[in-house]
Amino acid sequence: MGLSLRQRLLPLWFAGPALLWLVVFFAAPLVNQLSVSLMSGNSEVGYDLTWSFSVYSDALSSYGAEFARSVVFAGAATLIDLIIAFPLAYFIAYKAGRFQAFWLLMVVMPFFVSQVMRTAAWKLLINDNGFLVGTLRDIGLVSADGRLDATSGAVILGISYNFLPFMVLPLFATLQRIDRRLIEAATDLGCSRFTAFRKVTVPLAIPGIFAGSLLVFIPAAGDFINARILGSPNTTMIGNVIQNKFITVLDYPTAAALSFILMTAILILIAVFGRLIGTKTLTEAAV
Amino acid sequence: MAEDRARIERELDRFLAEDRSSRRRFLGRGAGAAFLASGLASVLTACGIDGTAAISPAQLAKEAASVHHPKTKIGDWVFANWPLYMDKSVIKEFDRRYGGTCKYVEEINDNSDFFGKVRQQLAAGQPIGRDIVVLTDYMAAKWIRAGYATPIDKRNVPNAKNIVSNLKTIAYDPKRDFTLPYQSGAVGLGYNRKETGRDLKSLKEFFNPEWRGRVTMLNEAYDSAGAVMLMEGKNPSTAKLDDMLAAIEKLREQRDKGQFRKFTGNDYTTDLAKGNVAVALVYSGDMVQLQSDNPDVKFVYAEEGSMLFTDNLMMPERVARPYAAETMLNYLYEPEVAAKLCAYVNYLSPVDGIRPILERTDPEIASNELIFPPDEVRAKLHAYPPLTVAEEQAMYAAMTEVTGN
Amino acid sequence: MATSSLTSPAAPEAPAAGPRRRRFGAREWELGLWALLAVVFLLAPVVFMVVFGFNDNHGRFNIDWQGFTLKHWSDAFSNSDLTTALKNSLTIALISTFVATTLGTFLALALGRFRFRGKAAAEMFVFVPMATPEVVMGASLLAMFLVIGVNTGYVTIVLAHIMFSISYVVVTVRSRLAGMDPHIEEAAKDLGAGELTTFLRVTLPMILPGVLSAAVLAFALSLDDYVITAFNNGQTTTLPLYIFGAARQGVPPTVNVLSTILLLTVLVLMGLNVAVQRRMAKRAGGAGRA
Repeated sequence: MGLSLRQRLLPLWFAGPALLWLVVFFAAPLVNQLSVSLMSGNSEVGYDLTWSFSVYSDALSSYGAEFARSVVFAGAATLIDLIIAFPLAYFIAYKAGRFQAFWLLMVVMPFFVSQVMRTAAWKLLINDNGFLVGTLRDIGLVSADGRLDATSGAVILGISYNFLPFMVLPLFATLQRIDRRLIEAATDLGCSRFTAFRKVTVPLAIPGIFAGSLLVFIPAAGDFINARILGSPNTTMIGNVIQNKFITVLDYPTAAALSFILMTAILILIAVFGRLIGTKTLTEAAV
Repeated sequence: MAEDRARIERELDRFLAEDRSSRRRFLGRGAGAAFLASGLASVLTACGIDGTAAISPAQLAKEAASVHHPKTKIGDWVFANWPLYMDKSVIKEFDRRYGGTCKYVEEINDNSDFFGKVRQQLAAGQPIGRDIVVLTDYMAAKWIRAGYATPIDKRNVPNAKNIVSNLKTIAYDPKRDFTLPYQSGAVGLGYNRKETGRDLKSLKEFFNPEWRGRVTMLNEAYDSAGAVMLMEGKNPSTAKLDDMLAAIEKLREQRDKGQFRKFTGNDYTTDLAKGNVAVALVYSGDMVQLQSDNPDVKFVYAEEGSMLFTDNLMMPERVARPYAAETMLNYLYEPEVAAKLCAYVNYLSPVDGIRPILERTDPEIASNELIFPPDEVRAKLHAYPPLTVAEEQAMYAAMTEVTGN
Repeated sequence: MATSSLTSPAAPEAPAAGPRRRRFGAREWELGLWALLAVVFLLAPVVFMVVFGFNDNHGRFNIDWQGFTLKHWSDAFSNSDLTTALKNSLTIALISTFVATTLGTFLALALGRFRFRGKAAAEMFVFVPMATPEVVMGASLLAMFLVIGVNTGYVTIVLAHIMFSISYVVVTVRSRLAGMDPHIEEAAKDLGAGELTTFLRVTLPMILPGVLSAAVLAFALSLDDYVITAFNNGQTTTLPLYIFGAARQGVPPTVNVLSTILLLTVLVLMGLNVAVQRRMAKRAGGAGRA
């Protein structure tokens, strides 16, 4: 089937503007940072390009713990969000009926309050003498003299909270598309409701799970605000190190190098993750 | 190489600035050209980052001695300050009295963030479009040493004589040629009386095992390391880098023992008010406010002394309207105006002679020791030590390793 | 029978039959309870924020509850810097949401519907901005603006916000697009619909929930951004910048009040939207039957 020129140019018209925008306002400026990461010097004499690759190995060996913590915290938050969001999105997509818009509005409501305000509110909510921590102590989730604020738990809680709508929205958009007659067909053919859910709904929802996980995990891995406000000196994430190196210490090469390591690590994770579940089921789901 | 770069940038600037409409078209339609230009821009800046190398004190003094800002019309000018740090009626009154229009912008959210925003323009010797900026000591020092500040023509600021005696001179600006203090704050010992069960008076409480895990200190290295030095009976105002690093090392030891709940900006307010922490290193201005809601929260000037930070009024390099800025400086140093400002922000005022005015207008403020510390306390207030840019960088590198945020 | 603004007309409708529903949803109340708890979790800090807009605090901090007052409501708009910041934040968010959603949706369509050279690279490239720490993105963007002589301010904030929102839009829209049957569009074309008609009448309605979700995300990202904006704002203030700076003196309760007003406005607009849609749907349904 021969394509006309117009048809061949069509993808370009669709993809071009957005890609161009990203190239001009994201990629081109970032090239600069790539060279910054290979500079050396200090903030008094300035920094010059010396092609010192050692900054990468130094950064990696000095901040391995922070990298690991970021991956663990972001991973935990992604999992928690998935557990909270899937039933919620399922409910909104199938059971909310005429109140669907209302439920969705409730989900996105936090977005209209600045994150600084929301996180400050959490800090108040989880204070040591508050109702929430008192309850957690009573049911034994927090030890009698324990606390929630300034712990890893608080940071994970903060991240899960802030990115929860990022999980719900793509899940909803995907679930809502699923033709429920498929599920009914499965149950009609003798599948139990759970089997139908596992064998039909979940596979069909994979694109949403995939998208939601990416939207939560990627920004969470680079987050620094939650660790700053809700954490302690023992919950430092790599985002905090980058922020500090850049803004306070003015060590631009290390900040840039750490950023590129983080970006590379995330891209590798996406590729692996995508290969494991993404692409295979993405195409299967397309049936 | 730096010169080449500057030249190419200027050429590019000129090319782009030739007329506004062509630039708009350049950005709007000529997407390919824009890409090219931004790629070029990246390569250009890729050669290096300018440092903030120090200009010699002699050179700075010479610059200050020769400064002359002739009297002009006030015109439209820009005053950049922190949010909620000004009684706006002061600005209105200034416009009314001197004419012109002060564009008052509450755009400084953080010393380092603001510096990050204007650093490249300053380094390239370009005007930054603000006539007055308000910066804390260490940042003010950095600007002066790097030649990013314009000296004040004292002939236009006769009221500068009203400055309180302990701020007349400061290490980074011995003759106040470049800065005038705007407001000061003491860094002292804050505690929640309900949690401690007794009154505290010594900085040693920060390392007292009794409060393990219920202590916060500030993530600002000058404040926390300074407090450690005071605790040990040293004078932080004359500290060298090694002294600061030794103090930071002490903080690390304590942190490893689990002494600190966290290192904070001024978000310690929540922890202290809610009783999450018993003891905190705090800013006096915050405590005035916090106490009015929560009487359990106490502030003391520790017996060993307190660090003093000052926010300074200053004019950036290549300031467009120096006379307007200096007129404002002069106006802010009128005791009547300073008293009004003090009643609004509740920090330590750098202007002498406002207490009698406040005794008349606002006796509660006039009798508040957090705002008007007694003389024996005032004698033990210590300014930040003067460190070079490279030393400061080393100090912050060490401190951020300890605070982690 | 489009029941809400977010339900696309082309979406398969749930059968409303009674017996079916019972078999399918025996555990409905458990699901409902979970959804309710999740929403409580999401709204807890919001409620807290709203309540503290009524706090009769004496000092400048708004931490301890001191009693009920309406005084912050009566002077909600008295701080002109704060209202300007809010206005800037809203208009910037609206503009950048519109542009980013449009650009991102088309890119998602290209990635999901076409085969072209460099597609794999483009797909990976889209993730990179999401993975880039904001401080690095903000600083390098500022460097570029300075070198090409663009004054930073309102416009540069918008440009930056569009930039970092695009990826989120693409990922969200693609998740909706993935697995959608392309044959429907082909069928429309076979039936003689033009390229544009097919897109407007078939493709767009099918992906609309994804596009709207993406728009909400883009709006939220823009409304909340601090780091990148702080580099590229010039002298333009936005709400997060204002709040961040105000924290040094204590965030005033009027910020809570303005945020609450914003919430109420959104609620009312949504309510109106739903009502209008419902009425239109009813009319269309009636006309169709007649």
